[in-house]
Amino acid sequence: MSAVFIAGCSIVLSVMTELCFGSFPVDIFHFPLNIFIVVLWIVLIAIMYRNRTARFMLSRQATWLSLALMAMVGIVLGLQRKPSTTAWPVAVSLLFILSHLCFVILRGWRNAKGIRWRFCLTHVGLLLALGAGFWGAPDREQWRVAAHHYPSNEAYTMEGKQRFLPYTIELVSFHMEHAENGAPTHYDANIKVDNKNVTLRVNHPYSRTLSEKIYLVSFGKTLMGETYAVIEIVKEPWQWMTATGIIMLIVGAVLLFVQGPRKTENLLKVESLKFNDDCFSLMSEGK
Amino acid sequence: MGWNIFPMWAAVVMLLATTGATIAVLKKNRNLWAIALMLLAILGMAGFIAMLWTTLERPPLRTMGETRLWYSFFLLVAGLFTYYRWQYRWIMLFSTVLAGVFIIINIAKPEIHDQTLMPALQSVWFVPHVSVYMFSYSLLGCATLLSTMALARRNSNMDMAIEKLLYAGLAFLSIGMLTGSLWAKEAWGAYWSWDPKESWAVATWALYLIALHLAPSVMNTKHRWLYHTTIVLGFLALQMCWYGINYLPSAETSIHTYNQ
Repeated sequence: MSAVFIAGCSIVLSVMTELCFGSFPVDIFHFPLNIFIVVLWIVLIAIMYRNRTARFMLSRQATWLSLALMAMVGIVLGLQRKPSTTAWPVAVSLLFILSHLCFVILRGWRNAKGIRWRFCLTHVGLLLALGAGFWGAPDREQWRVAAHHYPSNEAYTMEGKQRFLPYTIELVSFHMEHAENGAPTHYDANIKVDNKNVTLRVNHPYSRTLSEKIYLVSFGKTLMGETYAVIEIVKEPWQWMTATGIIMLIVGAVLLFVQGPRKTENLLKVESLKFNDDCFSLMSEGK
Repeated sequence: MGWNIFPMWAAVVMLLATTGATIAVLKKNRNLWAIALMLLAILGMAGFIAMLWTTLERPPLRTMGETRLWYSFFLLVAGLFTYYRWQYRWIMLFSTVLAGVFIIINIAKPEIHDQTLMPALQSVWFVPHVSVYMFSYSLLGCATLLSTMALARRNSNMDMAIEKLLYAGLAFLSIGMLTGSLWAKEAWGAYWSWDPKESWAVATWALYLIALHLAPSVMNTKHRWLYHTTIVLGFLALQMCWYGINYLPSAETSIHTYNQ
């Protein structure tokens, strides 16, 4: 029950923090501070795993609790008009889920007999995808540009703050097709990014660098009747970690379907070892 | 040829499915007539979807009505599969009734408008993402029907089928959610943006994961009702994710608005 008690106390404290001080200050944790904290967090988990000081994080209750927290986060955010993704309770819940995943992965390779690949792909995949979203959020940048028929480097953040890009964007041509009812069925924009011609359309962004993509999101007309393209620039240095996690999870899900449930007798044997509160002592004795 | 012939077409499909399902209930062993009639009903449904696809000149997966059509089709498939594999005599009748409910909703409120496919949906991810999701919904629908029966009849022995349906359903649900995430990155620039539909998808996924992790501990114990209840709760969250969010105030801010 210690997992339930500690998680419960953390959630109550996080709710109080949210009420007193407002949302979690995501922005101050950008690179390199987030990398430093991630390293510290992993080292701390490894030490706690070796010293057996946080055995509650390996209990079955911790697994159920992590997933229940995930479900609660989904339900609460799903009910909100403007999801408070940076709220303290959300951040604490995600940190608890990630920490539990780390503990489970450290132990899992040894215990997940017969389904090791599936176990690793699903759990490490989830850790990478969720971890990149959580730790990488402060490094994510997003700007919008109204591309006209002249070069400009003026961009705006989603909060409306003005920024200047290190390169220019210019609309060369815009092409649109309509259905009989007038709804747009296709549109694309030929733009010049840093003197390079690029064609953008919905679902087909342009990768300017390994961490930066340029999207065509909409279009509009000036007072003079001239069409302009609304361009979005997304800089996400952690995107490859997320993509790796997602692909691992997809392969893990395929294995979940192919292999199905484990045989009951083996399952009970493994699970009883897996969730035994004394698993640390068993492992250290090599039984 | 088009949507206007659906009521007549659906009546024939439902007649075949109901007859097959009734034979299955009446006969103790696996019955070939029941399987053949259900197979004909499934082929009939598949034929209508193919015809609609050709008429609309786009995959019929855009509107809520179109997803209901796929769900009815996959429910019949999942019901037949469960009957064939585990010989639960009642499952085809339950899945037929559930498919019938969605067919009746589609007749009363078709929501299949025109050939338009907005640019955001013109993606290679569109068909796999939606059809895989619909297939997982039908498998999890069958798991829910069996779980409800297990809750009602405490001594029933359907846990093996429920667990296999849960594993298969959860696998496809995960693939549907993850392909959606990869698509979202290409379309909107973010793998995950906590849109109301995405939030409910996470809640659904987490509830089914709880059931999956509960199984080894509570199966064959007096607490197995917890396992069945979680599956039923997961299915309720799934209904919220699929169409329930349209009735919530948070739907106004959703970017998944083309699905109404």
